[in-house]
Amino acid sequence: MRLQFEEFLAAPECKIMIVTYPDIFQIEAKLKYGKFSREYQDLSAIIMLDSGDLKKIGIKDGDTVAIKSEGVNVVVTAKESEEEHPGIGYMPESVWSNILGVYPVSATVSRSQQEIPAIDELLSRSVS
Amino acid sequence: MVCTGCALLCEDVEKYDGEVRDACRIGTAHIRNRQQINPMVDRKVVDMDSAIKGALDILSHAKRPVFVGFGNSITETQQTGIRLAEKIDASIKTFHTGIIENILNNRVKTCTLSDVRDYADVIVFWECDPMNTHPRLLSKYAYYPRGEKRQHGWEEDRIAITIDLRYSHTASICREVHKIHPGLDADFIDALIDGLHNKVPKTTYDKKQILKLAGTLKKAEFGVIFAGTGMTTPQDAIIRLMDELNEVSNFHILPMTPGYNLRSIAAQLHGRADSGIDMHEADCVLCLGFDLLNSLPVHEINGKMIVIDPNDTISSRYADVVIPCAAGGVDCAGSAVRMDGVEVDLPRIMESERISDASIMNQLLEAM
Ligand code: SF4
Repeated sequence: MRLQFEEFLAAPECKIMIVTYPDIFQIEAKLKYGKFSREYQDLSAIIMLDSGDLKKIGIKDGDTVAIKSEGVNVVVTAKESEEEHPGIGYMPESVWSNILGVYPVSATVSRSQQEIPAIDELLSRSVS
Repeated sequence: MVCTGCALLCEDVEKYDGEVRDACRIGTAHIRNRQQINPMVDRKVVDMDSAIKGALDILSHAKRPVFVGFGNSITETQQTGIRLAEKIDASIKTFHTGIIENILNNRVKTCTLSDVRDYADVIVFWECDPMNTHPRLLSKYAYYPRGEKRQHGWEEDRIAITIDLRYSHTASICREVHKIHPGLDADFIDALIDGLHNKVPKTTYDKKQILKLAGTLKKAEFGVIFAGTGMTTPQDAIIRLMDELNEVSNFHILPMTPGYNLRSIAAQLHGRADSGIDMHEADCVLCLGFDLLNSLPVHEINGKMIVIDPNDTISSRYADVVIPCAAGGVDCAGSAVRMDGVEVDLPRIMESERISDASIMNQLLEAM
């Protein structure tokens, strides 16, 4: 899908700190299906956000968000956390999170119309 | 049999009629699956001899070689890798070994996992989540089992505490959970040290909670901190905390190493001089059982890349030379060092035609 640039620019942003975490199901998917599999991507290219932060940027659980940090731009799926953690986003340890830098990372998150990039695409276009 | 799915190296795993028994979710997937790659040179499939020749060609022309990884290889491979590095003056870079270094330097007190099972009454999970990384730690050693001095098990004899940046799965079984604010780990430690000295800490953290935590830690007969090796806490703050804890209590630290044999390579490299070549300046990067591009953007690697790995990885897709190998403890035998420093023999679990990484490193060493 082409980036709808006006909408992207107009989308409200929220400042967050990103912290990574390990996920046994994601590790299992890597071992079973490989890092280039859909199963691994679906469990890796996600960010857990506070429900208040989801509201701030006008999205709901399962929508796509763009995360920007020091010129790097990553698109992932947003998930609503059960616990409260305003201003903090949790991402599983993977190339989608590592590409943002060394943790904890300061970033902005906003609604996105882009598709989640596969690993090859992510590595080739991550620097905007 | 032994599982090399994580640094716990569980020795009670069985393979029966093609089924893996008693391993956890990670162990079962690790033993049963392999994302096999072909030998490649310049991203074209070649035979093994040509791939090894390709690697030799790069290594023999390298002026600033760097080897990375080693934590997911058997001890024998690590030994040969170190000899190869010495021969061509390569720098070896492993990651997340800071706490192991402090243990090897006797700067912090440690213990074995059997000690934890038998004696530990206060168990702290510091920026780690073993339920997701070392899944059988709690059931085999840290929390649930009865031990020599812990006959009543977790219900009465053990207190588990999580100190982490998030409410992890491991936190859900803990009696106390303390959340650290990202980037403010050292402040938490300073506040805790004040608490250990019965001082009300000047901190943004909840003072009552910190004092309660300090009280619990002080009462420990045998305390242990399982420390995440990727923890953002500065190493000097950890040493300071361990020193202070051991003035008023009895605390040990164990690193939750990410590679199954990271402890071994850290010990072998301990005190060894390294050429210290920077990764960005390297004209050759050899990744041994380590997916460098999972954590470092591809444009930051300027040299030729050689990958020796049992699995298809992001790095193998970009490498100039790829040499597939057997997986240590699964389709090749060897030895490894558990996260607590105990040596473990790794028998082979299944027959395979794959060559071990030890044999590949040997071939490279002999030919150089
Ligand atoms: S806990 Fe670790 S060593 Fe034990 S079975 Fe699971 S992955 Fe294997």
